[in-house]
Amino acid sequence: MATEQHSQEGVVKHRHRHEGPQKHIVVFIFSIVLTLIAFAAVAAGGVNPAFAVVLLLVMAVLQVFVQMGFWMHLKDRGHLIPIIFMIGGFFVAGTSIIMALYWVWWD
Amino acid sequence: MTTAHAEPANGTLPHEPEKATLEGRNKVLAFWLFLGGEAVLFGTLFATFLALRNQTNEGPSANELFHLPLVAAATFILLVSSLTSVFAIQAMHRGRVAQLRNWLLLTVLLGLGFLGLEIYEFAEYIRHENFGMTTSAFSSAFYTLVGFHGAHVAFGILWIAVLIGQLARKGLTVVTAPKIYVSAMYWHFIDVVWVFIFTVVYLLGKVG
Amino acid sequence: MAQAAHSLNSSKPLGHGHSVKRHTGLMDWITTVDHKKIAILYLWAGGLFFGIGGLEAILIRIQLIKPMNAFLDAQTFNELITMHGTTMIFLGVMPIIFALMNAVIPLQIGARDVAFPFLNALGFWTFLFGGILLNLSWIMGGAPDAGWTAYVPLSSTTYSNTHGVDFYTIGLQIAGLGTLIGGINFLATIITMRAPGMSFMRMPMFAWTTFITSAIILFAFPAVTVGLVLLTFDRILGANFFDVAGGGNPVLWQHIFWIFGHPEVYILILPAFGIISEVIPTFSRKRLFGYSSMVFATILIAFLGFMVWAHHMFTTGLGPVANALFSVSTMLIAVPTGIKIFNWLFTMWGGQVRFTTPNLFAAGFIPTFTMGGVTGVMLASAPADFQFHDTYFVVAHFHYVIVGGLVLGLFAGLHYWWPKMFGRMLSEKLGKWTFWTFIIGFHMTFFVQHFLGLMGMQRRVFTYLPNQQFDLLNLVSTIGAGLMGVGTILFLLNAFLTSRRPADAADDPWEDGRTLEWTIPSPPPEYNFKQTPLVRGIDAFWKEKTAGHKGMTPAEPVGSIHMPSATVLPFTMSVGIFIAGLGFMFSRDEFGNAFMSFLFNNYIVTAIGLVITFGSMLLRSLYDDHGWHIEPEELEGR
Repeated sequence: MATEQHSQEGVVKHRHRHEGPQKHIVVFIFSIVLTLIAFAAVAAGGVNPAFAVVLLLVMAVLQVFVQMGFWMHLKDRGHLIPIIFMIGGFFVAGTSIIMALYWVWWD
Repeated sequence: MTTAHAEPANGTLPHEPEKATLEGRNKVLAFWLFLGGEAVLFGTLFATFLALRNQTNEGPSANELFHLPLVAAATFILLVSSLTSVFAIQAMHRGRVAQLRNWLLLTVLLGLGFLGLEIYEFAEYIRHENFGMTTSAFSSAFYTLVGFHGAHVAFGILWIAVLIGQLARKGLTVVTAPKIYVSAMYWHFIDVVWVFIFTVVYLLGKVG
Repeated sequence: MAQAAHSLNSSKPLGHGHSVKRHTGLMDWITTVDHKKIAILYLWAGGLFFGIGGLEAILIRIQLIKPMNAFLDAQTFNELITMHGTTMIFLGVMPIIFALMNAVIPLQIGARDVAFPFLNALGFWTFLFGGILLNLSWIMGGAPDAGWTAYVPLSSTTYSNTHGVDFYTIGLQIAGLGTLIGGINFLATIITMRAPGMSFMRMPMFAWTTFITSAIILFAFPAVTVGLVLLTFDRILGANFFDVAGGGNPVLWQHIFWIFGHPEVYILILPAFGIISEVIPTFSRKRLFGYSSMVFATILIAFLGFMVWAHHMFTTGLGPVANALFSVSTMLIAVPTGIKIFNWLFTMWGGQVRFTTPNLFAAGFIPTFTMGGVTGVMLASAPADFQFHDTYFVVAHFHYVIVGGLVLGLFAGLHYWWPKMFGRMLSEKLGKWTFWTFIIGFHMTFFVQHFLGLMGMQRRVFTYLPNQQFDLLNLVSTIGAGLMGVGTILFLLNAFLTSRRPADAADDPWEDGRTLEWTIPSPPPEYNFKQTPLVRGIDAFWKEKTAGHKGMTPAEPVGSIHMPSATVLPFTMSVGIFIAGLGFMFSRDEFGNAFMSFLFNNYIVTAIGLVITFGSMLLRSLYDDHGWHIEPEELEGR
C-alpha cells in the first residue's frame, strides 16, 4: 500500500504542486471556533447539563476528526492501514469507557 | 533493502522525503500502529478518570477546583503549536530547512509554555487547594490522566529539540525527514488527546 | 549461525565505507539484531522461565499430593501459585511464541529481516530484564502473593506488605513493554516486508495468526500498562484508585485487568492455531482446508476477544444485563473456533497423513484443545459459573486451553521448525517419547481436576481436609504432573543430544514443506534469501513443486544486500529501565544505611536508570546506522 502510493507520486514528482497553508489555517480556525463554543457554553452557565454533555462531546469529536484527517493526513491516499488501526484503538478505548460508565458502580 | 540508504542521485530530496526509503515508510507506518496503542492507553486512563470523577473523598471537586481561563490559555497554546507543526512539515516538503527549523523551534517554545502552565496549575492545586495525589480517588485519577499527557508533552519537547539539533548537524536527509515527520504525528496526537482532556476533565467537570 | 559467521567474517570496508565491527561469543549475542539469533535468545530465555514455572508447578502439586500436607506453608504456596501463573504466561510461553515468530515469520514472507531489527532486539532485552526483575523477588524479600490476577485489595499494601507485588507490577511493566515493541514490529514487518506476489490472502496461516496476535498485543497491552501503573501508584505513591477508604473501587482493577487479560488468552492461543495450521497440511500433503474461512475465523476471534472480558467477573455482581451480554458474546467465540477445528479435521481427511513428532503433537492438540473449549462454553453460562467459579473446574479448563492448546502447539512448532532454526533434526524416537509422556501426564493431571472442581475443591487453597473424596484424585493429578515433567526433560535431552550431532538438515527436511522457509538452507544464512523469491500462489513452495520446479523463481537479480549493524544499545536501554524500576520500587523504603536511603529516597537510582535509557535512545538517534553490505561475490562464494 505504501509502495503503491510512493510509485504513484514518483510519476508526478516534478510537477507536484505543494499544498498551501490555506486549508490548514481553515482547520485551525474551525478548531478554534469549536473550542470557543465549548468553553463559552460552559462559561455562560445555565446550559442544561444533559445538553451540555452532548454538545461538548460533539465539538470534541468534530475537532479531533478534522485534525486527524487534515493535520495527520488520514484523509490522504495510502492511509488505509493507519485508519484501520486507529479505529481499532478507539474501539478498545471505547469499550473501557463504557465499562467505566456502567459497570464500576452499582447499588 | 538494498538501496535503503542511497542518497538521491541528483542531490535533491523527493517531494515527501519521509517516504523516500523503505525505512522511512516503515517508521511512519509503525508510528501509526503505536498511536493505535496509545489510543488504548489514554482510553483506559480516561475510563479510570470517568469511573472515579465523583469520588472526591471530602476533598475539592472538579467544579470547585478548575479555573477555565487557565485551561483555555493552555488549550490555545497547544492548538497553535499543532498548527506550527503542520507548517514545519510543509516547509520540509518544500525543502526549506531554515523555515522548517524555525517552525520546529516555535513548536517547542509553545510546548514549553503549555508545560509551564500545567506545572503552575498542579503547584497551585497542591499548595493552595490541598489537592494532591493522595487526597481522593478523583485526585489520583486527575493527576494520573493529565500527568500522563503532560509527560507526553515533555517527551515531545525533548524529542523535537533533539531533532532540531540533528537538522543543524546533518541537514534534511532521507534519514532525518522521517524522524521529523513522525515527531509531528506524535505532536498532533498529543493535541488530539488534549481536546478530549479539556472536554471531559475540565469542561464536563465544570458542568458537573 | 556458525556458517554465516565464517563466510561473512570480513572487516573490509563495505557499503558506504563504514567498516563492519563483528562481535564474537557473548558480545555477539548481546549486540545481535539478526531475527534468527534473537529467536534463539527468546527460546533460551523463555525456556529457562518455562522451567522455573514448571518447577513451581511441581512444588504446588507435591504440596497437594495428600490432605493436610505440611510440605509448604500457606505463604510460600501463595507465592508459588502467583509466580507459577505469572511466569508461565508472561515469561515462559509468550517468549517461546516470540521465538517461533522471530525464527519463522521473516522466512515465511520472503523477507531478509523484520522491519525494525533494532526494536526486535530491544523487545527481547526489555522482556528479559523484566522477567529477571520479577524473579529477583524470590531473593529480595518475598515473591508476589496475590495471584497472577493481583486482585485488590489482596494486592494492596494492607494485605500484601512485602515488596512482592511491586516486583510484579514493575517487572510486568518492563516485560510488557518488550512485548508491545515486538507486536508493533511484527505488524509492520508483515504489512510492508512481504515478498513480491505474496498478497495478504497468500500468506501462510502462521503469518496470519502472528499478524492478528500482534494486533491484539497492540490493543490489549496498553490497558494492562495503565492497570499496573495505577496499582503501582496506589502501593508506592499512596494513590486511591482501588482503595475504598479514599473513594477508590476494586472492581475497576478487575475490569482493567480483564480488558487486557482476556485478549491475552487469544494472544496465547492464536499462534498455536497458526502452528497447527502449518503442521497439519504439511504432514497430510494437502493444502489447508478452508484457508479463507481460517483467516476470517482468526479475525473474528480477535474481535470478539475484546468483548468478553467480564465473563471473568460474573460473580462480582455486575447484574443480569451485563452477565447475559457477556455470556452470549463468550459463547459466540465457539463458532469461529469450531470452524477452525473442523478445517483441521477436513485437512487431514483423505490426506496422506504421516505421524511425525510435530504431527503427533498437532493431532493431540485437536481433541485436547476442543475439551478446553467445551468447558469454556460451560463456564460462559453465567448461572453455571456461579457454581464453577474459583474451583478446580476453572483450573482444569484453562490448563486444557493453555497447556493442551498452546503448549502442545509450541511443542509441535519447535519439533517442526527445529531443523530450520538449528540445522539439526530432533530425534523422532525421543520426540515420540516426549509426546506420549507429556500428553498422558497432562490428561492425568488436569482431567481429574474437572471432577475435583465439581466436587467443590476450591482453587488457590494451600491444603484440604481428608475424607472429602479429594485424596485419590489429587494423588493422580500430582503423578500426572510428574509425568509432564518427565516429558519436558525428555525434550531437553533431545535438544541436548541433537546439538552434539552434525548440522546436516536439508533445506526441506520434512520433504513436504509448503512455504518459503523450506526453500533456503537450514539454518538460513544471515541474509535469508540470496534473491527475494517471487510468490505465485498460496503455499508458494508447494506450488513450485507441483509445477516441477526445484526452487523459487527469483524476483530480483543477485545484488548487494544491505544489513543492519549490530549494536549494544538495546541491551543498555533495558539495563537502564531495570535499574530505574528497582530504584522506584524501593524509593519509599527505610534503609539502615544513610547512603542507601539517600540514593533511593531521592529517586537518584531511578534517575540514573532513566539517564542510561534515554542516553542510549539519544545515541541511537544521533548516530545514523548506515549498516553494511554483503556483496554478490560473497553470496556466490558460499
